[in-house]
Amino acid sequence: SPWGAVGCHRVYKDTRCCRFMLTLNYFQMELEKSLLSDHELRLMEDAERMSRKQADDYDSDEEEGRDDQEIMMAQDLEDTWEQRLKSFQPAPRFRADADKDLTSVQRCLADSLVLLAEQQVGAEKLWLLPQAAWQEGETLRQTAERALSSVSAADFKATFLGNAPCGVYKYKLPKATRTESSIGTKVFFFKAILADSAPGKAPNSALLWLKKSELQKYLKPAYMMKVDRFVLSL
Amino acid sequence: MSNIYRKLQVTVTQQRSILKQLLSRATPSIQHPLLWAACLNERQYKGMPTHGIGRWRHLLPKQAPKKKKDRSQQRQMVPATDTSYGTLNVQVSGYDMTVVEHYSQYIHNLCNRLGIRVAESYALPTKSTEVMLMQEQGNKTYVDAVLKTHQRVVQFSSLDAYLCPVLVDVLLKNQPEGVQLSVKEHTEADFQARFKARPELEGLIAQINQ
Repeated sequence: SPWGAVGCHRVYKDTRCCRFMLTLNYFQMELEKSLLSDHELRLMEDAERMSRKQADDYDSDEEEGRDDQEIMMAQDLEDTWEQRLKSFQPAPRFRADADKDLTSVQRCLADSLVLLAEQQVGAEKLWLLPQAAWQEGETLRQTAERALSSVSAADFKATFLGNAPCGVYKYKLPKATRTESSIGTKVFFFKAILADSAPGKAPNSALLWLKKSELQKYLKPAYMMKVDRFVLSL
Repeated sequence: MSNIYRKLQVTVTQQRSILKQLLSRATPSIQHPLLWAACLNERQYKGMPTHGIGRWRHLLPKQAPKKKKDRSQQRQMVPATDTSYGTLNVQVSGYDMTVVEHYSQYIHNLCNRLGIRVAESYALPTKSTEVMLMQEQGNKTYVDAVLKTHQRVVQFSSLDAYLCPVLVDVLLKNQPEGVQLSVKEHTEADFQARFKARPELEGLIAQINQ
């Protein structure tokens, strides 16, 4: 059939967001179902021992306690741990400056981002997911890998999630450019995840990292409909 | 037992029919039932004439005796085809047991919904790691904390190629913090690693081989 195939793929960044535990009250459930840990038992024993010491008829010979527990009480351990926690500074999740820069990979750490590249298609320059034409003898996945490396020009290390495409978009060429062998093109989409956290930026390429909600401003409507189906925004 | 009884019945009825034919030709008079039964070696009714009227198990086809399930046998490893992966192991590991277990349960439920057949879902033994810190004044290290790594494995018998990127994407999006996910193919070595080592048996085998 006179349809040419083009391999194309999208790359997105990992999210670090704990979402699935927030919907149900797992913490409460687990706390109520759980047994006391070693540390908690030790705390209780120490409290009991303290109360026995303060009683009037206390006889230290009857005590079976260990020496090390007398020196370092469980409560003291807890206090040292709390002190260390206060001195710990976690990295900020939201940084307003980085969020606004559409070309940086570090924006919007809470969401997953899609890579778009500005490419020449026919006569116009369009914002698309990186794509490349399929050549004889190579698999679609290899085409997609080639597309990524050609568009970015920097060493984007991406792990592909599977050999099968996750989406397809087909369009007919305008009647002027149609020939006997090619009526239109089918574009297959592959999913891949960025392995590096901070890849270098190439000066020539126009790359954007966008959230799913922002994709609509840059992509054409028919294209957006197909891409919308496989891009997950959780 | 019932087989023999059935044969007896058959032979008894055959005998009876033959005898009936003979006796009817020979003596048309009424026979005494007891004498009749005695000469034919027939079993008397146990009380009621309807004894054994509801018996049906002797009419069923013969079944082989049930074998006891041997848990230590391995399930068949499905080989990979052109369109689907073979037996895959999804390993979830982390320090917090509740999070790891909930995540593995989530994976299992997700696969049930998507129609992916889950072969097994098991836990590997917990590994304890001791965190030793150097003392501020001196060269000695002291035990700071004991971290336990919990591992859970969900095994799929086969995974279609078109489902793979979708499933992995969803798993990665929902991965909680502090949990590591890895997808590998199932091998014989993985299965053998679950068993405890038997030093006496290995010693005896070594002795035999020597």
